[in-house]
Amino acid sequence: MRECSDMSLFLPVNSGQTPAMFSFTRSCLLLVLMTMPVALAAQDDLPVLDLDRPMRLDFSGSWEKDFGRSDRWEDELGRMLRLRQEQAVRQQAGISGGGPAISIGNINLSSSRAGASIIDLARLADYISRQTTLNIHQDREQVRIERRGEAPLICSLKTGPMESFASEHGREYCTWENQQLLFIISLPEELVIQHRFSVSADRELLRMQTSIRSGSGAPFNLLQTFIRYDEAAESFDCVLTLSRGRVCSQSGNLP
Amino acid sequence: MTRPPLTANRLLILCILLAGCGTTAPIESETVPEGLGEVTLQRATSTPLAEQLLDVGIVIFEAASDSDSGSFGDWVFAEVRDNERHLLPYILKNTLQESAQWGAVRVLPEADPSVHLSIIGTVLQSDGQQLELRIQAKDATGRIWLDRLYYDRSDSEGYLPPRTLRRVSEQEMSQIEEPFLDIYEQISNDVLAARNQLTTQDLETIANVALLVYAEDLSPDAFGYMLNTDTDGQRTLASLPATDDPMLQRVQDMRTRHHLFIDTVDEYYQALHDQTRAPYMIWRSYSSEQLVEEQRVREREQGQGERQEREADQSRYSSTSGYLTLTQRYDRYRWSKIYQQEYQELAAGFNREAAPAILELNRQVHGLNGTLEEQYSQWRRILRELFSLENGQ
Repeated sequence: MRECSDMSLFLPVNSGQTPAMFSFTRSCLLLVLMTMPVALAAQDDLPVLDLDRPMRLDFSGSWEKDFGRSDRWEDELGRMLRLRQEQAVRQQAGISGGGPAISIGNINLSSSRAGASIIDLARLADYISRQTTLNIHQDREQVRIERRGEAPLICSLKTGPMESFASEHGREYCTWENQQLLFIISLPEELVIQHRFSVSADRELLRMQTSIRSGSGAPFNLLQTFIRYDEAAESFDCVLTLSRGRVCSQSGNLP
Repeated sequence: MTRPPLTANRLLILCILLAGCGTTAPIESETVPEGLGEVTLQRATSTPLAEQLLDVGIVIFEAASDSDSGSFGDWVFAEVRDNERHLLPYILKNTLQESAQWGAVRVLPEADPSVHLSIIGTVLQSDGQQLELRIQAKDATGRIWLDRLYYDRSDSEGYLPPRTLRRVSEQEMSQIEEPFLDIYEQISNDVLAARNQLTTQDLETIANVALLVYAEDLSPDAFGYMLNTDTDGQRTLASLPATDDPMLQRVQDMRTRHHLFIDTVDEYYQALHDQTRAPYMIWRSYSSEQLVEEQRVREREQGQGERQEREADQSRYSSTSGYLTLTQRYDRYRWSKIYQQEYQELAAGFNREAAPAILELNRQVHGLNGTLEEQYSQWRRILRELFSLENGQ
């Protein structure tokens, strides 16, 4: 079988071609013309490089908590108290660390006007970050972090802080700090919760640092590590409609 | 979605703006800050006079931008408003038609030069519980018939529960009364009142000017000199062509063709309205239900004297109370956010259902490209070119 590539598409006027050869050449030409739109269409499918769009690491996927690499709030609280005690003892002994004077009172062991006690903040941190799995969806516009029992944390991929939720019960902002995704939740009476997400370059580890501060007191930080796992692919795609309720179809075949 | 109710300041600003924008003396220009109450549509008891049967074009409404809503994700509500601005004019059209006081009443993608009376509206607020529209009616001579705000609240019995609405058939759905029908009936009555203030000669002038406006749109060179337009946009007749003028005859032929086109366009809006009526009703029912619930929660919280209770708790239970207080504070935020997300989901559900009908609306006119609004502009351009060819211009 002859191949089109054997034939020259640029034939001289009097090239001495037989009618059969000319017909074959014409067929090849038609084939090229017919496949050209397909090639062009394929080219159109390529994502257009948008230089104004910031590059973000991919957080998407299903993540489960790695308890071995995550803080336990009791341990973290104990560690925090111990450090502060040691620092206070050193100061009393006259060994200056160069920082401000430390006293146990500064870390809000008990409730005061400065804010809630560090113990309460630690327990709240545990309550807030009780989920053992996260599902993150990310596209070219936004990242959406879903946790059971919580409304999703949603942020645009754009640069600059943006308000992601506001009500009389609290305001939520999100922003990007380098490649870390930050959510800041301001609740009444100066209770501020911060979630900082970062993902490893190989996309196998996700860290979520929850930091809670009340008033001018010291914050309590809780670091949790998640590892990626492969969730079984959903066999149905479902969307909510108003008149027909939840409508599902086989994956990749939405109505 | 929620907007503050009309305040004296807003009304004052609106009055100043209206006073500054137009020096034309509207037949009626006032604002209605209160809900409308019960309105009865004034239907024609006998066939109106021929000159009273003006053709009315209702331009799809504008949607006021909600500047105080800046949270990421609120675009979904903007999309709801964008769908609404296509749907609500059709309810007004039905009401005007039901009054039997007018000629052809059509919904149009933009102001049309061939109609006698144009109605332009803006959706200022619409959340299922409240509807606020700004409506302006202007005739072909540029006279403003009315320019005012219409505001009404639907009572809690205004909707069937969403779950019930889901089960009703298409036939039954079409029998359910529009919860804000009073607004549309009031608009219809007001436009009628404005028309009744005009003399027969005024009405004839409107019809003549409308014909020449259309003729000028087709051929400014041939007909432009017959109309005088002052700086305020008021049009007066400088002269009239003879009734047997062949050019005028061709204009009338073109206008007939144009009316066939805009009748078709109007049918597409009808199809859109029919297809989205059910999900739109359900969306408003959900929205109203959620707003009622939100209000109930707010009142309960205020009534309980939350702060005093918290302080009392704190004094009773030392550090445990601190933790409880914190979790309660967090949970209030958490639930308000879950609630808002659900609300957004419902809004997205409505948009999802309306999308195919909107898409269909924009795809209907074959041979022309772009959205229905763009196609409409193209059609008018084609008619102008056709007219030029026919007249050898």
